[in-house]
Amino acid sequence: MALLDWLDERTGIRSATRLMLEEDVPGGARLRYVFGSVLVFLFMQQVVLGILLAFYYSPSATDAWASTAYLNDQVTSGWFLRGLHHHGSSAMVVVVVLHLLQVVFAGAYRKPREVNWWTGLLMGAIVLAFALTGYLLPWDQKGYWATQVATGIMGSVPGGEPLQQFVQGGPEYGNLTLTRFFALHVFVLPIALAGLLGVHLLLFRKHGVTPPDLPEAELQRKTQPFWPNQLFLDVLAMAVCAAVLVGLTVKTHGAELFAPADPASNFVARPEWYFLFLFQLLKYFQGPLQIVATVLLPGAAAVYLFALPFVDRAKSRAVRSRWAVLSGVGILMAGVTALTAVAIAEDNNNESFQHGVEQAHAEATRARELAREGVAPVGGLAVFDNDPEQKTRMLFKEHCATCHTLEGKGSEEAPTLDGFTSREWLTALVRSPRDRRFYGATKHNTMEPLTTEQASDEELAAVVEYLIGLSGASAAASVDAAMVARGKELWDKKLECSSCHELEAGKDSTGPTLAGRGSPAWVARIIRDSSQKDLYGDTAEMPKFADKLTQEQIEALAQFVASRKTP
Amino acid sequence: MSSGSGGEPDAGRRGVLKLGIGALGVGLAAVPVVPAIGYLLFPTGSKAGEGSFLPAGKRSALAGAVPVRVELYADKVDAWNKTPDVKLGSCWVLERDGALQAFSTVCPHLGCAVDYDAESQKFKCPCHRSAFGLDGAVEAGPSPRPLDSLEVKEENGLVAIRLVRYRQGVSQKEPV
Repeated sequence: MALLDWLDERTGIRSATRLMLEEDVPGGARLRYVFGSVLVFLFMQQVVLGILLAFYYSPSATDAWASTAYLNDQVTSGWFLRGLHHHGSSAMVVVVVLHLLQVVFAGAYRKPREVNWWTGLLMGAIVLAFALTGYLLPWDQKGYWATQVATGIMGSVPGGEPLQQFVQGGPEYGNLTLTRFFALHVFVLPIALAGLLGVHLLLFRKHGVTPPDLPEAELQRKTQPFWPNQLFLDVLAMAVCAAVLVGLTVKTHGAELFAPADPASNFVARPEWYFLFLFQLLKYFQGPLQIVATVLLPGAAAVYLFALPFVDRAKSRAVRSRWAVLSGVGILMAGVTALTAVAIAEDNNNESFQHGVEQAHAEATRARELAREGVAPVGGLAVFDNDPEQKTRMLFKEHCATCHTLEGKGSEEAPTLDGFTSREWLTALVRSPRDRRFYGATKHNTMEPLTTEQASDEELAAVVEYLIGLSGASAAASVDAAMVARGKELWDKKLECSSCHELEAGKDSTGPTLAGRGSPAWVARIIRDSSQKDLYGDTAEMPKFADKLTQEQIEALAQFVASRKTP
Repeated sequence: MSSGSGGEPDAGRRGVLKLGIGALGVGLAAVPVVPAIGYLLFPTGSKAGEGSFLPAGKRSALAGAVPVRVELYADKVDAWNKTPDVKLGSCWVLERDGALQAFSTVCPHLGCAVDYDAESQKFKCPCHRSAFGLDGAVEAGPSPRPLDSLEVKEENGLVAIRLVRYRQGVSQKEPV
């Protein structure tokens, strides 16, 4: 290889590679040495994936959710890369624990490798900090609420409030929280981890593997080189890990993305599975005792692990001489596992939690569907403005609420539209048409009220039923036939409504036609031009929207108003 | 696998292990790299589109042989954002032989915004000194083609202009 020779002459690349790869493994290559290498691989993969995600992700409270939804649901393979990054963090936690257990079991924390043990523990803590900071970044319901709990705990610890304010960037969540979590997750933690990893690896090379407890001669005899014997096992383990991750990512179709963070909602917040034990612990210590679960117990466990090289007074690394230390770590792991299991079991048996999860998934699906047409720059929650009904509501607010009231909002210049043309609405209208709720504030306040002497409540109910029957196919299906017949008779023979109101569309009259009254088609005619002769004629004051709104908008508004019958 | 076959050299077996490391290593790298290609290339290659007619104002306001700068607004979808009524660009509009003519303000040379110089009655690019006549033709400077004219539509006294961006630096007028 002439090129390599050329390069080697100028850089010394061959000796550098040799220095990295040529190392004796006393006692031979072993599968239980692979965890450290797998962690290095996972970290590197997370860095690559993280950089890729940063090509689309935007860390601001208004953009974070929409950009994540875009990345996940629209960008080619976005779901896969984000899913791999998400599951990769779980894999790191799992392999950190396996690595730690292997080190404890082999007694590798003992002299002279104490500093290596401590750098390892610090890196384990950083892996958890990665998980905590990464969780918030999508600014979805789950990340938002789970992280609220974490920073809330921070603030509840004596002296923790300044720290909470620092990471949040103030007293509450917002843009500064995201930019801070982003800076921590993407710059501070990776640099810290890489630095510690460098120290960790240098110390590892200085002291070598902790070989099995065998006579020196036998270790020598069985020695194998790191390259390729141990490295092959390492790479094989990485491949198994990668295969599991890819399988998991495909099976779950990537990572979940819940609906955009809504500070006004009540979301069933749960931390990621590897923090569930802390979440469960919190349930047992309340009020002034909360600090036991948030600081004292986790702190004691951390101190115990850090002090392990000193706690262990055994003369040799042999397992039987270290039963106290091993059972200490064993109890710790058993406790974490038990708490996690109880947390999962309690949630599985909690119906309201399960219901909440179902709702959250449904809302997430809807939000992500709506996000495909783009989200208004005011923030992730604006995705719901893409909902057709929401669009119609905004049209209503802009064009109709200046005169009409709906759901308590709007002006009273024109009839209130809650329950428009329902039985109750019509009955009340006929009794007091000049009320402000109806036509009192309009020029069309010429209708005389129908008194109880002219028609009893029971008679009026029959007439209203008759009118409901005329208001269109969907309404006609629900009427009481006997009452309709009675109403028709009253209309034809007793009452004088027909002197102003026609029952056929197109026939001119002083009052609006009652054919199809309140149906979407009738309402649409009103919206287009209410001054037509068979509608409000000369008394019409409502602007003609035929030119101002599109056909589609008018039909959507008509449908919207016509469906307010059951307020 | 927990213990090796001893210190004696076993070149053949090690060769297989080295091959295995290489093959698995390539596979590991491929996991993020292969999907990353489509991921990173995602929006490139898509066409900005034909453009659509955007309201430019009343016909009566645009009468006259002196060019008027008109800003064009429309709803814009930019990656994940959908913003209503944003400024998308502008154009010069003037009346020539009774008909409205619109020119993109984007200089066909390298995309600077072309200005109108009332004194010399020419469109002038502030960057590289291209100058264009009222008909859009190049009169000076490096521009490879005349100003890009834009389609104008009149309806009920209202003017709409189709906003299209064209490739810069080439003599052919091709949409981006």
